[in-house]
Amino acid sequence: MIMVRAIIRPEKTDDVLAALMDAGFPAVTKMDVYGRGKQRGMKIGEVTYDELPKEMIFTVIKDSDKDYVVKIIMQAARTGVKGAYGDGKIFISPVDEVYTVSSGRKETAEDAAPVAAAVSA
Amino acid sequence: MKEVLAVIRMNKMNETKQALVEAGIASFTARKVIGRGVGKVDYLLLKGAEAGHEEAINQLGPGPKLIPKRMLIVVVPDTTVPRVVSTIIDVNQTGNPGDGKIFVMPVSETIRLRTGECDHAALDESAD
Repeated sequence: MIMVRAIIRPEKTDDVLAALMDAGFPAVTKMDVYGRGKQRGMKIGEVTYDELPKEMIFTVIKDSDKDYVVKIIMQAARTGVKGAYGDGKIFISPVDEVYTVSSGRKETAEDAAPVAAAVSA
Repeated sequence: MKEVLAVIRMNKMNETKQALVEAGIASFTARKVIGRGVGKVDYLLLKGAEAGHEEAINQLGPGPKLIPKRMLIVVVPDTTVPRVVSTIIDVNQTGNPGDGKIFVMPVSETIRLRTGECDHAALDESAD
């Protein structure tokens, strides 16, 4: 299993969450974050804003779904056709173990498969 | 070292904190997050409900929306991971959907800022 963390524009959050839902990845957590990118924030007139508000969404998926999920987030989070500075970043990190608290069970990649299949069907 | 990332119910926070301390894992980071599980949400209806249209609210029903949760981040040595996981599961398990998830992820390095200690020396000794 892998964790996909995407830092995106706050106004694009609804689009990304809806796109993930349609694609069969309903389970997502999001939080408000502040940060800057390699453009060193945003300069408007004399004032530089180097703590820009963003949303971080993260979801844990099967390794084999990685490219698909990244593509979905990329399409939904991009402004315009070509994209613009500030659209965000996607980070992917490994997850060793996943547990569901309600059942106390340790999940495996096979458990995740029927959920995605059921939603897309 | 492993990072244990747990998403749990808001109202279980105090019990979880207490149980973790009793299990010898005192240090952790927590924050408020919102999210959803495997349930399906209709976004058109959700937007309508947020705008206050009665029809949308009725159609939406009691189904899953984005729900506030607490996220715990605990970094512990590999050998302590089962203890953290079982403690969190024991306290938070009600058997209903929405109890949360626990993710265990590898951490390659830990540094304590105060002393500059690295890796295991930087982790809380009480966890061993």
